[in-house]
Amino acid sequence: MGLLSILRKLRSNPDKELRLLLLGLDNAGKTTILKSLASEDVTQVTPTQGFNIKSVQSEGFKLNVWDIGGARKIRPYWRNYFENTDVLIYVVDSADIKRLEETGQELSELLLEDKLRAVPLLVYANKQDLGQAVTAAEIAEGLGLHNIKDRDWQIQSCIATEGKGVKEGLEWACKSIKKK
Amino acid sequence: MRLLKFLLRYFPPGIALEYTQGGDVKTKMIDLLDLSAKTDVKALAESIRVSEPMITESVMDQLVETLEKLQNKVCDSGAKRYYKYKTLQTHLLPLTNIAFDKLGKRCLTGSYDRTCKVWDIDSGTELLTLEGHKNVVYAVSFNNPTSDKIVTGSFDKTAKVWCSQTGHCLVSMWGHDAEVVVARFSPTQSKIATGSMDATAKIFHLGSGQELGTLKGHTAEVIALHYNNDGNQIITGSFDGTISIWDTRTFQRSSVLIGHREEISNCLYNFDCTLVGSSSMDKTAKVWDTRTDKCLITIHGHDDEVLDLNFDNNGKKLATVSSDTTARVWDVSTNFKQLAIMEGHREEVSKVCFSPNGHHLLTSSLDRTARLWSLESGCCIQTLGGHTDDVFSCAFSYAGDTVITASKDNTCMIWR
Repeated sequence: MGLLSILRKLRSNPDKELRLLLLGLDNAGKTTILKSLASEDVTQVTPTQGFNIKSVQSEGFKLNVWDIGGARKIRPYWRNYFENTDVLIYVVDSADIKRLEETGQELSELLLEDKLRAVPLLVYANKQDLGQAVTAAEIAEGLGLHNIKDRDWQIQSCIATEGKGVKEGLEWACKSIKKK
Repeated sequence: MRLLKFLLRYFPPGIALEYTQGGDVKTKMIDLLDLSAKTDVKALAESIRVSEPMITESVMDQLVETLEKLQNKVCDSGAKRYYKYKTLQTHLLPLTNIAFDKLGKRCLTGSYDRTCKVWDIDSGTELLTLEGHKNVVYAVSFNNPTSDKIVTGSFDKTAKVWCSQTGHCLVSMWGHDAEVVVARFSPTQSKIATGSMDATAKIFHLGSGQELGTLKGHTAEVIALHYNNDGNQIITGSFDGTISIWDTRTFQRSSVLIGHREEISNCLYNFDCTLVGSSSMDKTAKVWDTRTDKCLITIHGHDDEVLDLNFDNNGKKLATVSSDTTARVWDVSTNFKQLAIMEGHREEVSKVCFSPNGHHLLTSSLDRTARLWSLESGCCIQTLGGHTDDVFSCAFSYAGDTVITASKDNTCMIWR
């Protein structure tokens, strides 16, 4: 993708073209989810130092999915990408119980952002295949999702490395946009 | 009028006559765009003497010597081999655009980390970090040839002007309703022109930052903008598929170049501003005559979107690059024939530029390389590899001795 295609994807797109923003802590599995959506090989994923963009077709929509690196030092730059977001996708490593509080803190800050106001929220409870993983319901509890009143939200358990649950989440995202 | 001395301009070739008139020192430029290795320099000197009364018999030897020097420099088609000289590695996030100063001593990098950095090419060290933008710094430029100021255009909807010595922000330019993706200094006046995703271009006063006027008319994002040589005209290219020509004194649109069927990816003037070249997602490029606003030729040949184009320094050749992974070079001085096709990149080619003397082409691609090509043979002379992600930008310094490449991998490489 050259600079020009970044500009093209920045456009406040006409109908049927949507912008999905994929955020979450480092090592949550954002890039793996992105690659899984695009049916690409997920065995070679390295930490994202910047961002990745891929276009996926679903439910008659063209989805431009922006995957932004989650390392602590680059989280302050997430706001570079908020403009014109149609759906916010937040990825949580369900087995990283130690950082559940940290990821909840980042999410609640995102939900206060003016540019993301009323944007539907999809949370992926990723890595459900790992032994120590907690369930989607427990993640929802930990993140306080039930207190969200100002937008549609959904939690979806998934195993990105096997592609399980990823498509289902996206289908919800498309439906929530159709409702708007 | 008394002639003082000859001054050389290498790219594109020309000489300037410095002379005194009524106590003032003035210069007169003579373009020698056709100068080649085959040119008979003595005959050329003679023809200049005939049309320039300032040149007397006594300075003819000196004129011939000057022209020979120019010829040697300009017509040296030998392929220089570039080596990775430095890797500049301190941006936290991907780079965007890059720019050289006139002398090739410093370069600018814009980045997603909201800064623009100024680099010393010789030492590979960071001279300045220009901080203040609140979002991605996309457009960067020096006010060449003086290079004492820098303009940046940002996704935060502003443009800023900076002192290139101290790094102080001199002025911020507000007014656009969306990302500023192109910003240029007027070549002759203290003005700045900006193009934005809000479908307008604006002209600002350089000193005060005051908005002087808005160029309204495009129905989609303005993504390319250039001044002509005297600064009285601007061309803008837009995602609405058209190119507009504007009078910078009245802020009115003087004409619209209509013909492309999809978004414009770039547009620019040739050296003497007689032609405008445009490239488009409709898989074609077009060349327009700026005096009649007519399309002279539609260049077919690419099998996919044409992503960038550039004229050589003489304004006689045009290079186009495409998602079809090729670069092509076209003759725009006579018959618009394809002169060369460069095949070798494995993915789309995003940027293209000519070497200053016009003998080589530089391209950057999503295949993580930049490549140098011989115009004569169309062969790849050298692959500049090492980046670990898409190469977004590439540029030659004015003298052609340095190349820079910028990548999505957050680094910039200097090649010498």
